[in-house]
Amino acid sequence: MEGCRSTTEYNRALLLEAKRIEKSYGGVRALRQVSFGLLAGEVHALVGENGAGKSTLIRVLTGAVAADGGSVILDGRPITDNSPHRSRELGIAAIYQQPAIFPDLTVAENIALANETGGLFQLLRRGERIRRATELLESIGAEIDPKRDAGTLTMPEQQLVEIAKALGGKVRVLILDEPTASLTERETGRLFEIIRKLRSEGTGIIYISHRLEELPLIADRITVLRDGETISTSGATEMNTRDLIRLMAGRELSAVFPKREVPIGGTAFEVNGVSSAVAGISGITFAIRRGEILGFAGLVGAGRTQLAETIYGIFPADSGEVRLDGEGLSIRNPGDAIRSGIAYVPEDRRSHGVAGELPVRANMTLSILDRVSNGPALDENAERLIAGNWISSLQVKTDGMDERAGSLSGGNQQKVAIARALATGPRVLIVDEPTQGIDVGAKAECHRIMCDMAAKGVAVMMISSELAEILGMSDRVAVMRGGRIAGILERGQATAESILALALGESNQ
Amino acid sequence: MLVENRAGGERALLLLILLEIAVFAFTGPNFLSAANAFEIVRLGTELGLIALALTPVIVTGGIDLSVGSMMGFCAVAFGYLWRDAQLSIAAAAGCTLLVGVAGGALNALAITRFKAPPLIVTLATYSLFRGMAEGLTRGVDNFSGFPAGFLYVGQGYIGGLVPAQASVFLAFALFYWFLLHRTTRGRAFRAIGFAPEGARWAGIPVQRRLALAYILAGFTAATASLIYVAHLGQARADAATGYELLAITAVVLGGADILGGRGSIWGTLLGLSAIVIMQNGLRVSAYPAELAGILTSAILVIAIAAGRRTKRVSRIPAIEENTEEDMKNSQLAVLSAVIIAGSLIVAGTNWWLVQSVTGKAPIPGVSPSIAMNPAPGEPAHKLTIAVMPKAKGDPYFVSCRLGAEKAAKELGIDLIWDGPTDLDPAKQNEVVEAWITRGVDAIAVAVVNAPGISTVLRKARAKGIKVLTWDADAMEDARDFFVNQATPQGIGDTLADEANRILKGKGDFAIITGALTAANQNEWIKFIKARTESKYPGLNLLTVRPSDDDRNRAFSETQTLMKVYPKMRLVMAISAPAVPGASEAVKQSGRTDVKVTGLSLPNMCKPYVEAGVADSVVLWNTLDLGYLVVNASKQAVEGTLKPGVDSIQGGRLGKITIEGSQVVLGKPLIFTKANIGQYDF
Amino acid sequence: MTRRLIAIGGLWLLLLGILAVRAPNFFAPENLRDMAITNAPALVVSIGMTLVILAGEIDVSIGSQFAVLSVVAGILAKSGLPLPMVAFGTLASGAVLGSVNGLLVTAMGIPSIVATLAAMAFWREFLRWTTQGAWVEGIPATFQWMGLGQTGGELAIVGSAAILFAVATWVTGNLKLGRAVYAVGSRRESARLAGIPVSGVTFGVFALMGAFTALAAFLDTVRFTQVQSSAGVGLELKAISAVVIGGTSITGGKGSLWGTLMGVVVLAAIAPALTFLGVNAFWEKAIQGAIILAAVVMERAAMKGDRAHAR
Repeated sequence: MEGCRSTTEYNRALLLEAKRIEKSYGGVRALRQVSFGLLAGEVHALVGENGAGKSTLIRVLTGAVAADGGSVILDGRPITDNSPHRSRELGIAAIYQQPAIFPDLTVAENIALANETGGLFQLLRRGERIRRATELLESIGAEIDPKRDAGTLTMPEQQLVEIAKALGGKVRVLILDEPTASLTERETGRLFEIIRKLRSEGTGIIYISHRLEELPLIADRITVLRDGETISTSGATEMNTRDLIRLMAGRELSAVFPKREVPIGGTAFEVNGVSSAVAGISGITFAIRRGEILGFAGLVGAGRTQLAETIYGIFPADSGEVRLDGEGLSIRNPGDAIRSGIAYVPEDRRSHGVAGELPVRANMTLSILDRVSNGPALDENAERLIAGNWISSLQVKTDGMDERAGSLSGGNQQKVAIARALATGPRVLIVDEPTQGIDVGAKAECHRIMCDMAAKGVAVMMISSELAEILGMSDRVAVMRGGRIAGILERGQATAESILALALGESNQ
Repeated sequence: MLVENRAGGERALLLLILLEIAVFAFTGPNFLSAANAFEIVRLGTELGLIALALTPVIVTGGIDLSVGSMMGFCAVAFGYLWRDAQLSIAAAAGCTLLVGVAGGALNALAITRFKAPPLIVTLATYSLFRGMAEGLTRGVDNFSGFPAGFLYVGQGYIGGLVPAQASVFLAFALFYWFLLHRTTRGRAFRAIGFAPEGARWAGIPVQRRLALAYILAGFTAATASLIYVAHLGQARADAATGYELLAITAVVLGGADILGGRGSIWGTLLGLSAIVIMQNGLRVSAYPAELAGILTSAILVIAIAAGRRTKRVSRIPAIEENTEEDMKNSQLAVLSAVIIAGSLIVAGTNWWLVQSVTGKAPIPGVSPSIAMNPAPGEPAHKLTIAVMPKAKGDPYFVSCRLGAEKAAKELGIDLIWDGPTDLDPAKQNEVVEAWITRGVDAIAVAVVNAPGISTVLRKARAKGIKVLTWDADAMEDARDFFVNQATPQGIGDTLADEANRILKGKGDFAIITGALTAANQNEWIKFIKARTESKYPGLNLLTVRPSDDDRNRAFSETQTLMKVYPKMRLVMAISAPAVPGASEAVKQSGRTDVKVTGLSLPNMCKPYVEAGVADSVVLWNTLDLGYLVVNASKQAVEGTLKPGVDSIQGGRLGKITIEGSQVVLGKPLIFTKANIGQYDF
Repeated sequence: MTRRLIAIGGLWLLLLGILAVRAPNFFAPENLRDMAITNAPALVVSIGMTLVILAGEIDVSIGSQFAVLSVVAGILAKSGLPLPMVAFGTLASGAVLGSVNGLLVTAMGIPSIVATLAAMAFWREFLRWTTQGAWVEGIPATFQWMGLGQTGGELAIVGSAAILFAVATWVTGNLKLGRAVYAVGSRRESARLAGIPVSGVTFGVFALMGAFTALAAFLDTVRFTQVQSSAGVGLELKAISAVVIGGTSITGGKGSLWGTLMGVVVLAAIAPALTFLGVNAFWEKAIQGAIILAAVVMERAAMKGDRAHAR
């Protein structure tokens, strides 16, 4: 669209350039001829929906994956043989969405390993490392003991260590992938200060965020990616949030969330005062009515997934009770939960949701093995029948039910995970980040499926970090913070601002 | 069915098996016969049961190293229950199966309840179960004399052709196939192997399913131990040593992924067949047994590497899909070439140097005079005499072989010299079976386990093969003659006499034996004890320590003994490597008041005897023994050695006395400083 | 110090206590010296095994390698090469054997337990085939004790192991190399993203394992005047047990060489301690297995309840 028009406005040097990058994962084109330029001393925001190709682009830039085509140019010279090691030497540092920490090493060692670019025979000075780590952590306002094992850190703490890691070395290009997703406002503010300082020193910063509202505060330019293609690049002040969403989604917001109004019945599912020390949640109380979708919002690490997993029997609850249709449930493991009528579509699709190496039909019946059996024997006909039904009713695109689930696209894998949950015939459906990393079409279908379930009288608990999804799909919104429910908002009260205020704890301060 | 891309690997494996069959049909007389095919089934049963049991365990991503030890423990438990607890065979067998289940449950408990890694848990129980078997039997005790009805399970034939245990194996194979491929449990195993967390999230009771796999492994190992006991007619603590590794090899060769998820019973059966057919074929072809291990490991590496060429896998699955190599291909190729060249050089120089140092042609198994493939119906039919030591690598038997080869050359006969590489009674049976299949003229066996081997020896006699035993005897009716170089009593008495001479009638001594479970040594110890108690009251036996036929272990044990028993004046080492070990320890301690005696070979003890550390070494002349075995075998075939004869001409040995069915070589030799220089072996 | 180490330490102190009361001779300097010399080679291989396991791999072929390398050392010595050349030749051969394992794992992508299982059978049978059980005899007298005399030789053996331990401890603690080994075992993908040459490190630990095995074989053979060709059976289990008892996580990334030292010491003392206490040798294997099992279970039992950080 607007293309490179605005590039001319900046007469600073072009620092890093990606030219016509092409990358496919097993038939799925993740990047199509993507071009992108970063100037020295600018903060260039990269936005797009999940699955738009942002993370892949970053991986190409840092050499974590090899592109199928195109080139990456630093200071006018193409980088050949790119690898994480090489890009790091060249001064390209990245903070990935998934913290790439070593759980068994201390924080100081984690920071040092990323920064000490010398060869393997380089000498370590432990005191120096700890001092350096302390310095870096202080500079971003994180209160973390550098001697702690990184495995004991919470998710936001890990994120802070990641930032410290990235800032530690000689950085010419800094790439931040959702750095603020789990940070408090204070930490976010501190991070922005650091970014501005780096920018003034001539560092080029690529900034990826879903928090569109913070972009005007920090970004100079914004590039929108959609379905693996560059849609536009423009100055940050030229765009408002609404325009951005339109560009990202390629359609109006309302079309994405086809929330259907369904009749809401009486209370079906009650959680009263549930606490779990291991899961880090306390005093959780809420109820969901038949046909109702209760959205769970909050920052990453607020304890939403942990709450779902406690209900589902992954974590033991220390106190409190869970009732379904007035009946108290005793759930010690996921099997108990499923038998009680609770189904869960987990957040981590790859390790919890689908077994990628098993065929589609085996995945769909994994939670109902006792229902596709003849005594001890597996009844393959019953299995094929059930799997076939789900494939058609959820419109799963596969080459057949014997296809390896792992070879499906993300959205279809998610449908397989959903089928596994729905096959149990649940009265309560918990979905955790149901549309993370799947394409727009599949997303809409997932939402349709949720509405269908609600229409059938199922109580739906929907955890999502995508505010638009929460607002679009929920009948009510529960907001969590620090392992507690900070508040439950009726549909009318729920706005981006009110949810964010609860999630960040502003209302209490 | 559930696993894609498997057919390719299985086709390759099938091809390999066909290739093996084609090659061995050419090299091994009678390899291609129904009888041999069923023998292969019989020999593969115990190993096969273990491999079946390990398949679901490996499919769940686990491993069980304890199954071989569990077999040893169950065998001993069965023996106790039957003989000492006076249970009926059926009740004892039932209780043994429960013992197996309990053992499996112990593994399962540690793995599921305490979430300990299976590798460590079963490594610990690998020692624990074997140790308990040794402890219960004090290494010595073994159980035999089981009723014929029970032995039928391991030795009988259904309809005169199909080995009885084949039915058990078939039942288990079907059961495991059904379990793994046709039940919800099997589906759960696979899900757990592919995605342990995913299975848990799906509501599968992961811990219970894992426990099932390990408990079933225990049950199956117990069943295998019963067949093993019935097969060999004897229950011993060292039953099935090393089976776990061979079974894992079979499972992995069959396409199972050691990281979990992938694996099939059909594949395991193919992997097992490839291994067992190769072992049998090499024996029937009279190729050296060591080749089996070398070829199996090479095939394993090639098979897996070929299957993984495209997919890089580590023990921790990568988070990302990318498959980029850190090393570039060209560098890798150069590095590979250098390392392969290097290893060839290491291997080659090793070979060459060993050859030049030992002065022997390292063409084992087949001595130069032997034609690899005697074409049938060749006019000048040379006699083929097959001689088996207890263990091929033992220096004692190595020197016997030199004598045997000398005789073979003199007499112009074909000599096959093969046997287990470790002291393994089951392997001895397998080799004899292969020789029967091949069709030799005479078989001479140094028996490890008398009741176990006697059945196959009887079978050989029934086929018209002359059977001799040497070094240690089988049951009397199972052989024609026993070449008796010295009875256990003769050895025990001689050693006790030597001890008395060295200690001058009074003093403390300790014995260092081979493995605690070695039957030979235990027999000798019995007679040493008897003789000292009755004849030499001044001698006091302090303790018996094991050396596991390892020189270094004997060395450390001697060091400790000297400190624990300062008054000990003599170490009696009754395993060939133990004498130099003990002598070196005494020498290094500088103690001149402690002497060493024992049973060993002159060459390895020469420095110590000459230095006066080892006072004397007892041994019969192994060169003569090997020589006589071949000589007597030939005469037995030709008819000059037959019942009723009271002497034969023993070639350069002169006249040899025959007492009943025993060919007597004479008293043991005693090597001392005065005469040891005259012997070179 | 991990819980496993504390659990083992407790059992260990109990054993020492019993020994102090029942058989104080155990602590006599000569006994400690002899135990140190005998177990110096075990310590050397256990150091190598610690690195392999820390990197998330395993090597079960070292027992067979040990036998091959003992024979190599013996043959080189017998051929009349000067001692330093013998040592160098042995170490180089060991590095080659280790590199073969390393290549199987990194270049061919075979899981290390399978690759080294194959190597274990291959080298053992290969050696049996070529030597037919014969020992290497007639080695020049200067080979024993490296020509330093008994006391000097003993010092050299223990000294070599101690120096290796010190160097290995220092390197793992103070060079980036050491951290890289932990990092690879802790999380491969993170290590790759951090720019650590994962394949190189994996290959390196196997090559090093081979060289350490060679050193152990050399230190072991110089104590004698002949080389047996059947040495090292079960050495891999001993080394793995020592590492595991020492608290190193079998899945890699966590553990320490100090723990391994302790593991070696505990295992080294069991057999002599039982002799000193007059316990029958037949129960030795069972006791050893029970100790490992108890250590693992005790650690896990203590860990239950604080799995909070596991996520």
